[in-house]
This record gives sequence, C-alpha cells and structure tokens, in this order.
Amino acid sequence: MSAASVRAEAKRLLTLSLEGGAVSSDRVGAVLAALAKSRPAHTLRPLLRAYLANVRRELTRGEARIEHAGPLAAADADAIAAHFSKALGRAVRPVARRNDALLGGFRVRVGDDVTDLSASLRLATLAKSLS
Amino acid sequence: MTFFSALLAADAAKAAPHAAPAASGAADGHGPLADIMHLFGSFGVDLPHLIVQLVNFSILAFIVYRFAVKPALGQMEERNRLIEKGLADAQAATQRLAEAQQASDAKLNAASDEAAKILAEARNSAKAAVEAAKAEAQAAQTEVIAKAKAAIEADRVKMLAEVRGEVSRLVVETAAKVLAENLDDATRGRLNEAAVKQLAR
Repeated sequence: MSAASVRAEAKRLLTLSLEGGAVSSDRVGAVLAALAKSRPAHTLRPLLRAYLANVRRELTRGEARIEHAGPLAAADADAIAAHFSKALGRAVRPVARRNDALLGGFRVRVGDDVTDLSASLRLATLAKSLS
Repeated sequence: MTFFSALLAADAAKAAPHAAPAASGAADGHGPLADIMHLFGSFGVDLPHLIVQLVNFSILAFIVYRFAVKPALGQMEERNRLIEKGLADAQAATQRLAEAQQASDAKLNAASDEAAKILAEARNSAKAAVEAAKAEAQAAQTEVIAKAKAAIEADRVKMLAEVRGEVSRLVVETAAKVLAENLDDATRGRLNEAAVKQLAR
C-alpha cells in the first residue's frame, strides 16, 4: 500500500468517524473494529498512524486551547470559544491551561491558528522594536 | 805644326790667288782635304779605323740599347706604371676611406639619433608606467580606505545594534521578572478580562 493510498484511506476513515461535523468516539470505535476484522494486523500500522493523525488534527480543529496567566473565569473561556466558533464557522470548545509565564492575558490556539494577547508577547515585541 | 796653325794655313790657302792653285796643289799632292787628313793623321786618326770604330760603336750602342737600356727603360716604365697604379689605388683607397668614414659618420649619427629616440621613448614609457602605477596605487589606497571606513561603520552599527538589543533584552527580562513577582492573581484576572474584551472588539 503506497503512502498516497494510505493518506486517502485515512481521510476516508476520518470522514466515516465524523458525526455532526465533529469526531464521535462511537464512530471511531466502530471504524477501528471494522479495520481489525477486515485486514491483517501487520498491514494496519501505517493506516492507523495516518488515521490517528487525522483524528488528532480534527479534534484540534474543534478545540480552543487557551493558555492563560492567573485565573480565567469559565465565562471568559466560553466567550473566547464563542468568538472563535463564530469566526471559523464551526463549533469550538474551550480547553484552558494555566501558564503564568505569559505574565498576563492569554494565548489561544485553534488548529494551526494562534492568537496571542499575552503581556509576554507585548514585552517581546517591545524588545524587538527597541533592538 | 799645331792643329790651329794647320787650320790657319788652310784658310790662307783659300784666300790666295787662283793662279796656279789647282795645278800646284795637284802637282804637290796638297789641298784642304789632304791637309785635314794629314792633320788628323798627325793625331793618329785614320779614316778606315774611324769608320770601323764607328761601326763598332754603333754595334755596341745597338747591343747596349737592345739588351740593357731598353729592358731598363721597360722596367722603369713598369715601375712607373706600378707606382702610378699604387698612387691611384692609394687615392682610391683614400677616397673609399673617406666615403667609408662618411658612411660611418652617417650611420653613427643615425644610430645616435635612434638611440636618443629610443631613450626618449623609454623615458616616456617609464614616466607613463610610473604615473599609471601611482594612479593605481592611489585608487587602491582610496578603495582600501573606503572599505576600511565602511567596515568600521558596519562594525559600529552592528555593535550599536548589539548593545541596543542587549539593553532591550535586559530591560524586558527585568520587566518580566518584576511583573512575574509583583502581579497577583487579581491583577492577572483583570488583565485576562481586558484581553477578552480586546478579543471581542
């Protein structure tokens, strides 16, 4: 099985794993069970790796990973997720993690997009402009 | 009788009257010729001997002329010819020498002129080469100075940038440390709220 065909098969499996535009754990379990029955185990490794990468990427696309310094109210996290849901046109759920190295503010990552409103970034920008 | 008295006697005989000259002279066997002969005879001169001697002398003169004088004259003429030829050759040689000297002088003058010309050209070439080398050295010096100035300026700018960057980094690090130590959760919460509001805008 070539790499291109593996990528195409993994993409098809990801499509089968979506339910309402989001990854469903039930569908993922069904896909894995079907794969285990239909193909020998030694041929599944590259396909499962590609499928896992696709699932992770799809899960990341649906998450707003918020790094924040200090406390962040749940309402604020929901407001951030709502903002990106509206901007991207799909449902995004907040996943918050505290990082005091940001000094203040937060950094949000949705998929490959990063929005940084932290004090550390502002200081770094200031240092770069001064140098 | 002397020779002069005989001659005087002969003259006197011519001047005497012609009465019986011929008869008496012929009869006596005297006359001018006979007197002269008698006179020469008294001196020992005998006509036949004289004729023989003249013939002998002529033969001797011919022989001397034929075998001595004529070859000597020939040799003298040959020598004169050789001398004249030598003189002519010497004159020609002198002329050729003069011509050769003249040609040599002309060639020497030409060579001298050529040498002077070559020397002048060499001097001009050397002067041009020196000027070119001087100009090239001047250009190289100017280029080196310009490069050195540019390098110094670049180093200065680079050093200033490095110092500025280092100072900025120190300032930012210091500010970050101060903020990290002095910001409490309440302040950070307010900053987060402000960031959310900024995101909403």
